[in-house]
Amino acid sequence: MLLVQGGDPRAFEVLYDRHGGAAFSLAYRMVGRRAVAEDVVQESFLSIWRSKARYEPERGSVRTWVLGVVHHRAIDALRHHLRHDRRRAEVEGIEERQEARELTDIEAARREQATDVRAALSSLPGEQSRVIELAYYGGFTHTQIAEMLDVATGTVKGRMRLGLEKMRRQLGGDAA
Amino acid sequence: MRAGHEQYDENIAPYLLGALPELEAQLFERHLETCPDCRLALERLRVAAEALPQAVEPLEPPPELKESLMQTVWAEAETRPGGLPKRHAARSLLGRPLRLGSARAVVATACALAIGVGIGIAVGNGGGGGGHETVSARVDHSRAPSGDATLTLPAGKAGGAILTVHGLPDPGPGRVYEAWVERQGRMHPAGALFSVGSGGSGAAAIPGSLEGAQAIAVTAEPDGGSSQPTQAPLLTVNLS
Repeated sequence: MLLVQGGDPRAFEVLYDRHGGAAFSLAYRMVGRRAVAEDVVQESFLSIWRSKARYEPERGSVRTWVLGVVHHRAIDALRHHLRHDRRRAEVEGIEERQEARELTDIEAARREQATDVRAALSSLPGEQSRVIELAYYGGFTHTQIAEMLDVATGTVKGRMRLGLEKMRRQLGGDAA
Repeated sequence: MRAGHEQYDENIAPYLLGALPELEAQLFERHLETCPDCRLALERLRVAAEALPQAVEPLEPPPELKESLMQTVWAEAETRPGGLPKRHAARSLLGRPLRLGSARAVVATACALAIGVGIGIAVGNGGGGGGHETVSARVDHSRAPSGDATLTLPAGKAGGAILTVHGLPDPGPGRVYEAWVERQGRMHPAGALFSVGSGGSGAAAIPGSLEGAQAIAVTAEPDGGSSQPTQAPLLTVNLS
């Protein structure tokens, strides 16, 4: 990472090769349109390249950090440039979906982790998984979610908290 | 617990999920600086929020995206003070930087070269000649029990040596193998980063002449390589 932030294009290329796929997948899941997802990924990686986003090792892995940058960019795109049309992902997604080809050992391990996370998310009561998905993948604020679901903002926040707590326990975060 | 803690405590989960409007998020971050209880609760829940991207169905980004991104990056690198970095430059046999090549491309090139060199040796031996020398590596078998490696050197230790490895463990997430040239007791980056496939096999082209080099060593380093080895060599090829 030091080489990337020191301006080495080859190191940056390795960074993109390792995390570009996950970044694009997350961006597309959030914005639901390929062209916008590509813009989000491009802006995110250029922000990393230009050292506007700084990596702090004590805050977690490089992948987590890169995806955090992408998540923020995608939320920005959703809140400032896109209308929130929840049908768009389902309509466009089927035609545009193309599974990643790579299945190295690392990718296989990541898919196992993905299965665990999906299981943890789907085991939550619907009211908790819904607010988490609307917030994290949909980019909606807690007030927008409260309006959509016609409940108090405190209720939305409480469901988010309970849902994350349960996921943490399911994912083995009890020791934390 | 600091004043105002209760009103911020309920914002921990929305903050982690990105569900706080910008101003509220800024206020929350300011509160975090002075509230260890909120920081602790935030760190406890972070593992759940940060797992959420893993649940997304994996998709293949279009190749044009990388192409466009790298064009911008190379253009900006060339205009930065000091220009392009030279130290880790992976080079082709003709000595030109592999601008579009990733570490994987370097490995692929090296593999192709290794096959070519292998054929060259076979032909050379068969004809009673041969302009290459193959040196076996000393491998730390406590870390790579079935590991072995050889370095194929052109005559006179000129540029274009090929390091081939087998049975090495995966360097680990976010890490690659990096080759080093030892001269006068000091390690210098060899300009070769590589990874290993199934069976721990891989190869790397070592650019530049190895004349006067004492050894080639390999360590696992963070993505993009290091300027100095951060661990003891996994394998060493003695040249002196």
